[in-house]
Amino acid sequence: MMRVLRTIPYTVIRMSRDYITLLLLLVVPIILITIFYFVLGDLKNQYGDPAFYDTAQLMTLVFQLFGGSIVIAHIQDDLFSPRRQRLMVAPMSRPFYALSISLCGMLYSIFLGFLLFLFTGIGLKVEWGNGFWVMYIIGLLAVLSSLVSLILIFAVKNFKLAERLSEVYGIGCIVLAGLFFPIPDYTVITFINEYLNPLLLAANAIGYAQSNLFPDAYIYMIRLGVGIVITFIIVFVLGRRKI
Amino acid sequence: MTVFHFVLKRSIANKTSLLILFLFPVVAIFLPSGEYWPHLPYGYQYFGIFILFISLKLSGLILEDRMRGIAKKVSIAPISHFSYLAQNLLAYFSILILQCLILVYGGVLVGKELYQPFWLFILFITFSMASIAFALMWISFFRNKEISMLIFMSIISVIALIGGVLIPIELLPEILQKIAIMLPTFWLAWGIDWVVFGGELKEFLLVNGMLILYMFLFLITGSVKKLH
Repeated sequence: MMRVLRTIPYTVIRMSRDYITLLLLLVVPIILITIFYFVLGDLKNQYGDPAFYDTAQLMTLVFQLFGGSIVIAHIQDDLFSPRRQRLMVAPMSRPFYALSISLCGMLYSIFLGFLLFLFTGIGLKVEWGNGFWVMYIIGLLAVLSSLVSLILIFAVKNFKLAERLSEVYGIGCIVLAGLFFPIPDYTVITFINEYLNPLLLAANAIGYAQSNLFPDAYIYMIRLGVGIVITFIIVFVLGRRKI
Repeated sequence: MTVFHFVLKRSIANKTSLLILFLFPVVAIFLPSGEYWPHLPYGYQYFGIFILFISLKLSGLILEDRMRGIAKKVSIAPISHFSYLAQNLLAYFSILILQCLILVYGGVLVGKELYQPFWLFILFITFSMASIAFALMWISFFRNKEISMLIFMSIISVIALIGGVLIPIELLPEILQKIAIMLPTFWLAWGIDWVVFGGELKEFLLVNGMLILYMFLFLITGSVKKLH
């Protein structure tokens, strides 16, 4: 246990030196949100709030969907590559090591979300409502995305395929949420967006809390939580066999 | 044409890539149309972005050749660098032509409102040429396929937004509109507007001419022989 704790600083250093992830999950969203800031300007939505607020909130959440790639890249490097043999002779518990990597990746993803939250909130003056609630929801979303990615890497043998599938999960959520083009009103799609699509669950939880409708916000938060519990059980069962 | 033959084979041998290559144009046909904007259905509006990604994915083969030392072997084989490159690009180009054909004429068959399908097809073809050349230039900066793809993704999302493919260009602030003129996607968006609204043929020739000019620019930068 202590030995695993000692590896954490190195995991953090490795993650912070991964400049490509930083570029994709921090610099790109900042550029995109800034462009939208100029594009949408003073445009109002149907409730009279600036339309840019919704866009900025959704964009911040969207990039949390891809946070799982951090975790699976490190798990793949350490546990499913030739380096695995070295870890097997190392005197420490592999499941705990995998857990520490996953937690570090999730925290790193949440931290990037926090930076985006600060940038949009302070830099571009987006109203988010209660900051702690927002960070809590962003945290839930990041954890859920990481767990989904972990399921993929444990269930699919080919790492590249698992990586692509985790992208499909992210992009699929965006498409279903209707951000690229309006989605037709089929019952199935409405059901998915209401109960399963993590992006919209998180966006609704934040949106309802902002307008002080906490009972509704809690419902969406609980749906996210149930998703986390279910995915965690699957990860636990699959991971025990693999690690 | 041995290289051409084998590049074609390698590009479509993998089942997943074959699926991506030919499923997407078919899906794109059936995407819905926007209310006010874009004027063409969404699948056609976003097809430019897809072309950019596909050309990078295809030209990853050249990068792979360079990394695995095949480029070295080719350089001592009785084949000129020009011929090797030309046959590679021709293979990618023929795949893209097939996709454009599926998209445009599949749409005509299904009965989508495409205004002037033939000119749309020509526009996609010239844009494919420019984007293959761009991909060739892009991979000459990198030594790793994955990293090149990831950075490309981040660049493309910005280029597509500024270039007027994802949102109408008139919405952008003035400075960004001026910057946009430098991007190939700006000319694609203009060409699509021409296809929808019609106009003088001169304008359409200008758009295609610019795209071909880009092609030559990127080709000159990208076609340098590289042996690592």
